[in-house]
Amino acid sequence: MPSWQDFEPFIVSGLALGGVYALSGVGLVVLYRATGVLYLAFGAVGALGALIAWSLQKAGTPGWLSWLASVAVAAAVTLGYGILFGPALARRDPLVKAVATIGLTLILYGLMDLLWTTSGGQARSITLPTDGSGFSVGQIQVTWTQVIALAAGVVLTVATGAFLRYTKLGTAMRAMANDRDITATLGVPVRRVEAAAWLGCGVLAGMAGLLLADLVALDATTLTFLVISSLAAVLIARLRSITVTFIAAIVIGLLHDLLTPVNSLTNYRDMTPFVIAAVALLILSRHQVMSQSREEA
Amino acid sequence: MKRLIPARLARRTIMLAAAIALAAAGCSSSSSTSTPAATSTTPATSATPGTTAVSTSQCGSKPGVAATGTPIALGAIATNQPGTSFTDIPNMANAYFACVNANGGINGHPIKLYIETEQTNPAQIAADAKQLVQTDHVVGIIGNTSIIECSVDSSYWQKLGYYIIDSGIAPECYSTPNSAAVNMGPRYSSDGAVQYALAQHASKIVFDQSNVPGTGYIAAGPAALAKAANVPIVQLTENVPISDADSVAIKEVDDAGPNGAVVLNFTPPEALVILQAAQKLGLEDRVKLWGCSTPCNTDFLAASLGPKWNSKLFVNAELTPPDTTNTATMNLYKAILKQYGSAVSGGIGSFSQMGFTEAEIAVHALESITSGSYTVASVNTAFKAVSGFNTGMLCQLWTYGSYPMHIPNNADYTVTPDNGKMVTAQGCTQISSVDPQIAQYRGVAGTAPLAP
Amino acid sequence: MPATLERASPARARTRLSRPQLIRAAITAALLLFVLLGLPQLMSLYYIDTMTQVAVYSMVAVGLGVLVGRVGLVSLGQVAVLAIGAWVAARLLFATTQPFPLVLLEAGLITMVLGVVIGLPALRLRGLYLALITLMLAGAITVVLATVNFPNGGHGFLGYNGSLVHIPPIRRPSIATSDPAYFRYSVVVAILMFALVLAHIKTRPGRAWAAIRQSEPAALAAGINIWFYKLWAFALASFITGVAGGVLAGAVHYLYSIGFPTQDSITLLAVTLMGGVYSLWGAVVAALLYQFLPALLNNWGVSADWLIILFGVGVLQVLTTAPAGLADQVPRDLARLGRFLRNHVRKAAPAPTQGSTK
Repeated sequence: MPSWQDFEPFIVSGLALGGVYALSGVGLVVLYRATGVLYLAFGAVGALGALIAWSLQKAGTPGWLSWLASVAVAAAVTLGYGILFGPALARRDPLVKAVATIGLTLILYGLMDLLWTTSGGQARSITLPTDGSGFSVGQIQVTWTQVIALAAGVVLTVATGAFLRYTKLGTAMRAMANDRDITATLGVPVRRVEAAAWLGCGVLAGMAGLLLADLVALDATTLTFLVISSLAAVLIARLRSITVTFIAAIVIGLLHDLLTPVNSLTNYRDMTPFVIAAVALLILSRHQVMSQSREEA
Repeated sequence: MKRLIPARLARRTIMLAAAIALAAAGCSSSSSTSTPAATSTTPATSATPGTTAVSTSQCGSKPGVAATGTPIALGAIATNQPGTSFTDIPNMANAYFACVNANGGINGHPIKLYIETEQTNPAQIAADAKQLVQTDHVVGIIGNTSIIECSVDSSYWQKLGYYIIDSGIAPECYSTPNSAAVNMGPRYSSDGAVQYALAQHASKIVFDQSNVPGTGYIAAGPAALAKAANVPIVQLTENVPISDADSVAIKEVDDAGPNGAVVLNFTPPEALVILQAAQKLGLEDRVKLWGCSTPCNTDFLAASLGPKWNSKLFVNAELTPPDTTNTATMNLYKAILKQYGSAVSGGIGSFSQMGFTEAEIAVHALESITSGSYTVASVNTAFKAVSGFNTGMLCQLWTYGSYPMHIPNNADYTVTPDNGKMVTAQGCTQISSVDPQIAQYRGVAGTAPLAP
Repeated sequence: MPATLERASPARARTRLSRPQLIRAAITAALLLFVLLGLPQLMSLYYIDTMTQVAVYSMVAVGLGVLVGRVGLVSLGQVAVLAIGAWVAARLLFATTQPFPLVLLEAGLITMVLGVVIGLPALRLRGLYLALITLMLAGAITVVLATVNFPNGGHGFLGYNGSLVHIPPIRRPSIATSDPAYFRYSVVVAILMFALVLAHIKTRPGRAWAAIRQSEPAALAAGINIWFYKLWAFALASFITGVAGGVLAGAVHYLYSIGFPTQDSITLLAVTLMGGVYSLWGAVVAALLYQFLPALLNNWGVSADWLIILFGVGVLQVLTTAPAGLADQVPRDLARLGRFLRNHVRKAAPAPTQGSTK
């Protein structure tokens, strides 16, 4: 059994990984609370934005402009999807809406592999200016990018939680996610609120995508399906509490990395998000049937 | 419902457009010989200054004369899936063949290379082999590069009498009578990297590889080397694609210790992610040295890593370094790549070098056929008969031969990054016979002489 | 549409088939005969191998179709179940000399037991939660498989020997060692599985599933044991997928964990929805989309990415406009086309007999 010394660096890297999961996880829950859709294309849209930023930077565009373009594309795609398919599916079960976003994910995934083909010896990477500097904790270095990712997760959790609860627009979004028709009869400008929700989600996905592409890898497959591991935190929060999602994501990231020096389990550590989610859900549902019907958003 | 109609129309239009696009793509693409339309992602590494302009017409026997006889059909199977693409290798072979076809062909016969791509699906790979043999009627197989193709098809090739020339990865590419590779593959290349680390007196070896088929087979080589040198070795595997490079790098460094060596066996993107994580965490100097098997040998990796890794990372190079070599063959390779290699997206590097070498050997073998008939029997007999051939790209002379196993490339260079380029750190060195497979091969085939 | 809750009288169940049903049955039989006897002669080995995969995945799709279409349970982990079935079959085929059909049965049963054991606690979840938990479980199984690997002739429980330089192939049944013969074998197994599903649909489980799908509270009120029938659906889907795994093991001879990535389950759901979850033909269409089209495109040199995009578009289309999928939409569109042509022809030709009605 490894000593405390051995575990120490993994606590830091675990927090960083937790920050990664938290970024996607919180993003997903925020989107769900605002639009009623579990936006499984979150990772793919972010990856698309990051790849566009990469291509622009290679063509000579200044960094800040490429990031702006990247977020803009992510927002545009998400807004487009929301406007085209949101109303048609609004009355359907959350499951159907989530499966529909799988459709978008596949379209984006195929598109990305077509446009940014895998080449034998090359690998793409994106660097943000905060990568170069950092500080050391114990024996290892922490970059500012990782701190930003973690901080972004916290800010997102607090700010969006407050936004959804206390502002008029946020309340309108929550109402719409719950029941679109009733909200419309209340005089809420449904289409505008919906557009605002999707636009906000798109911007979120774009920014998260850039951070994740920097922290994890600029690879369409990795980034698109990273959302599967982040779903664990989302599930533990039962798609409701943003704070629980954040905490769960951090815990999952920590546990995952803390298992690394444990030789008997290290090969299985990639299972951590899935096992924790499964166990948590089974515990949470032991007294009652858990369903996510329309009435219960 | 009025507002829904425009949206529904939009959706129907999208579907229709997708269907039309699909049909158009299907109609416009030609047969499987066509190289995939690769939208270029990165520009090919520019030619180094000092290379003499070489006429590509040297590749064929009759410069300038296009071959117009009945084509000689050859086939290749290569992995092409998101994240792993080996199509550069058969595409480069195809470029070589295009050059040959434009300059006399094989006694007037052009070579037609059928390339099948696969996504690591055993059923698909077996089907591809049958497609090549039964539908395309190929008489020889050259350029195979696949994670599992050798395992899946080796009994099929044996049954039909095909002796293939490939770039091996799976164990069967090296352990069966019907496959001879121009490269060393993950096991022997990792051997080379570990051997170099041991020669630098590393006190411990951490060998980390990607968790793709064959890890046990690959790990056995470094394990034998470490054991013979009385150096402890830690064997690790990582699931790819790696999503938490930080913990991987920390574990490797922790396990190796300050006098140890970390040796990696990953594809370039994964190795890059680990090394970059190590650099970000400030860990690159915490071990004695880092090693990597051949996939790391690209200028692209050297450029992405930066100067901190100069003489810190030692990469095993299965093929002669292109940047520092100015021989006629190397210049021919660069010229053919430039003129005919538009489908080779990786540019100058080990992948295209392997394709070039395999094609070179195949053409050499085909030109030795005097009977004028190019059948499965005659072509594969010629392939098998290649002996002591100087490819100009390898450390040793290359031989196929009638052996139960083939590891014809078993001596290598070691290169290290130097401000964005890979430079030679150690010249041609034999892989140690401590690896039992190497010993077994040298037992039947002897030790090949180094190329002049 | 009110749920049909009354128990059908035995007499009604044995009513003679009406004429359209007889015609449909005859066409189906003729098609199956053609596939079994005629197709292997016409196709190259490349496509025979591909069609064997179609047979395998049509079984997986029909299992998924039962879950999604009949009971309303979305599973995002069927490929992991297929992998388990293939694992069990491979282990048995290497370790024992049992006849192939017995191994298939055992693989199906063991997979079914595992499906039930896992499904039991998961059934407390509904809708989106259930779908996501299946995704989580599939992810976990994939990681385990990546470490444990598929059996390759080694010893011990796992049957995996990592340092083999010659991996032995998984054996096939002695009557079907060649590719065309194995294709026929897999089609026969698929027909049996489809018959099993049909038998379920036409009898009590099928009616219970229809009731549950319509309205759970109403079904509960009618005295249907919801948990039992949902579990039965899980068991059936797992059994069939397990058998499919066994057929897959024999088809490919070599199994690798990288061949069963988690995202394949997502693509499988997409094609099953596109094919149509309410009809058995939908499962065949799904398998053709999933295996035949990629092989076709690969042959033409077209990138498989176009297919992924098509599947994405297909999912969106199915969910928004055509919930019954292609298997339902194409015949309807064809029927509509037929009506349109008939009307056109009738308008073109002057009506000779005034009194004729149609």
